[in-house]
Amino acid sequence: MSADKPGAASSAPEHAGSVLQRKPSLVDMLDPLTFGDVVESLGELYRVGIRVLDERGRTLADAKGGNGDFCGFVNTTAQGRARGAALVARLNEGPLAPTQGAQALPGPGPLGGELLALPCFTGLRYLVMPVQWEGDGLGRVVFGPYAPEELTDVPASLAEVEGLDVQRARELLAHVERLSEHRVMKMLAHVAQVLAALLAAGQKAYLTGQLHLEAMLETQRDLEAQNAQLMRLNQRLKEADRIKSSFLGTVSHELRTPLSSIIGYSEMLAEGLVGGLNAEQMQFVRTIMEKGNTLLKLIASILDMSQIEAGKVRLAFEWVDVQELVESSLTSVMPQAQRKGLTVKVQWPAVAQPRVVADREKLRQVVVNLLANAVKFTPGGGQVEIRLSEHGKQKDLGVEGYRIEVEDTGVGIPLDQRERIFQSFYQVDDSPTREYGGAGLGLAIVKSYVEGHGGQVSVTSEVGQGSCFRVVMPIEPPLSGQGPAYIPPPIDTDPDRF
Amino acid sequence: MQLNHAQRELTLKIVYYGPGLSGKTTNLRAIHARARPEARGRLLSVETHEDRTLFFDLLPVFFTSSTGFKVKLKLFTVPGQVVHDATRRVVLQNADAVAFIADSRRSASAENNSYWRKLRSNMREIGLDATQVPVVIQFNKRDLPDAQTDAELEEARKKGGEPVVGAVALRGEGVMETLHALLQAAWRNLDERMRLARNIGLTEKEFLTHIFQQMDLTGTSLESLYPSSAGRPR
Repeated sequence: MSADKPGAASSAPEHAGSVLQRKPSLVDMLDPLTFGDVVESLGELYRVGIRVLDERGRTLADAKGGNGDFCGFVNTTAQGRARGAALVARLNEGPLAPTQGAQALPGPGPLGGELLALPCFTGLRYLVMPVQWEGDGLGRVVFGPYAPEELTDVPASLAEVEGLDVQRARELLAHVERLSEHRVMKMLAHVAQVLAALLAAGQKAYLTGQLHLEAMLETQRDLEAQNAQLMRLNQRLKEADRIKSSFLGTVSHELRTPLSSIIGYSEMLAEGLVGGLNAEQMQFVRTIMEKGNTLLKLIASILDMSQIEAGKVRLAFEWVDVQELVESSLTSVMPQAQRKGLTVKVQWPAVAQPRVVADREKLRQVVVNLLANAVKFTPGGGQVEIRLSEHGKQKDLGVEGYRIEVEDTGVGIPLDQRERIFQSFYQVDDSPTREYGGAGLGLAIVKSYVEGHGGQVSVTSEVGQGSCFRVVMPIEPPLSGQGPAYIPPPIDTDPDRF
Repeated sequence: MQLNHAQRELTLKIVYYGPGLSGKTTNLRAIHARARPEARGRLLSVETHEDRTLFFDLLPVFFTSSTGFKVKLKLFTVPGQVVHDATRRVVLQNADAVAFIADSRRSASAENNSYWRKLRSNMREIGLDATQVPVVIQFNKRDLPDAQTDAELEEARKKGGEPVVGAVALRGEGVMETLHALLQAAWRNLDERMRLARNIGLTEKEFLTHIFQQMDLTGTSLESLYPSSAGRPR
């Protein structure tokens, strides 16, 4: 809603607010170039000057008529020039009303308003046709000057112009084409029709274009607001994530210290340092130790993960014999596998392979985590197999490398979960009554360490049949030549480019 | 409302809102057909080839009051399709009254409700106070077999304060009555808030008479209220 104060209308900017609020203007609705051509051709057709002006008196199109010689001659006198200029000013900017020498013609104009006739002192005549559109005055069309049919001789008003050669004027006037009233009216109707058609098309195109633009801007404002909100949320999430990592690191550290004491004192008890234990007491103490160690491992992985997320994990590269590394990893899962009654198979390369560059501890943890997972999720009587490949060109990496595959006959992973199992804290079964323990960090650590080496980890699986994790590693990690490397924290956005 | 004292012009904006294919454009076409050519502009429509409104329709209706005030109504429709939410908001801006064109068919109830909520949220988004902008509900397509009964319409009327008008816009029934309710509500609202009548020297009756005398009211309930003043309207 807007209500102008009286007299304030002219100070308002021409293009304020929506296009639907604005009064249309001829300039907006007509294409000046082509419209100029149309008016030009109409002027030629009727041999009359036609000038189209908008409501501010700006000329949009101007076709000259066939009276140039005569008017030019009259204009050579000072008086003639002055009177001509006054008349043109009246035509272009004077009121669209029968005042100041103008007479209204009977009947409404073809584009609304009254048709006005303005006689010129030379005996010629002008017609002014107001252009109204949907009740708004948009401008005017000025026709002329033309010689009315009844004009025979130079009028007295011309003869009295000082310094004018009346005889010469008479000769030139005779050459100005006479137009009958009928022809003039036909011309007016014709021009009005053409103008109306152009305005209708122009208005439609203009409004549509402008509104489209406004709608786009509106949509953009929407999107920007949503983006800003998402950015704020994202910022908060990042901050919360950072705090979580830091908190995990601190807490893990604080947990390990008392836990080490618990395990240490249990060991001392078990070793009989403070006196012998009976069989039952020994079993209890062993259980305390075992559970304590499980807890310690869990805390260690939480600490690892928080280090990874904080970007603090450093890879110390050295020459590593992978076969030896796998063998030693197997020893740490064998007791558990044997307890569950699993068959553990190993497949080595046909010939011993040269050593590779890797961080021994991290690579060992990769293998241990995969084996521990396989053992954990394979029911009793099942089988776990680890295969180490020969060195060779790895298609996935595009460089020389090797594969470690750990296959089990366990519960398997549903298809829709296969990407997410590598996320930290993710568990396929996250129900409170889940069968398998763990914090859901093992695979996240595997992925981070493997990728830190420039390798890839993937999984194939069939629910109820088993899973196969495959690690593809380069013989020489891309960053190994530059000394120790940090594993970049998992960030989902690109770093700054410039 | 745009009120220009210097040029003695008053422009009111009326927006027809509602689900796609509920008959908003049909309403405007019917008004166009009943308005005298000298009192109306062209009906400007931007449609897709399926005959659905792409952006909006615009029908201007205008008159000059006896005190020389030029009054212009701009009747708009908004596009019904869901994707044009931004366009709907742009068109709805600064509306002085809103017609909500509902589809009377029972099967369209969910759609009506959804668009009613859209209207409310669009109005909120562009800062139109729902208590300050009158809304008139038109139940269109009363002639279809699945249409709600008059009793059900009565129920709907009782649920809110908005005037409810039944219509078959395709046959022109109820269209003028809806427009009348809209203009009356718009005028009363503006008069109450901005003292419009005193401001421009025009009473509600004059305002409505000026407009509806320019319309062919044959067969409508408004016929006796606004007897045609001069000649036959087309």
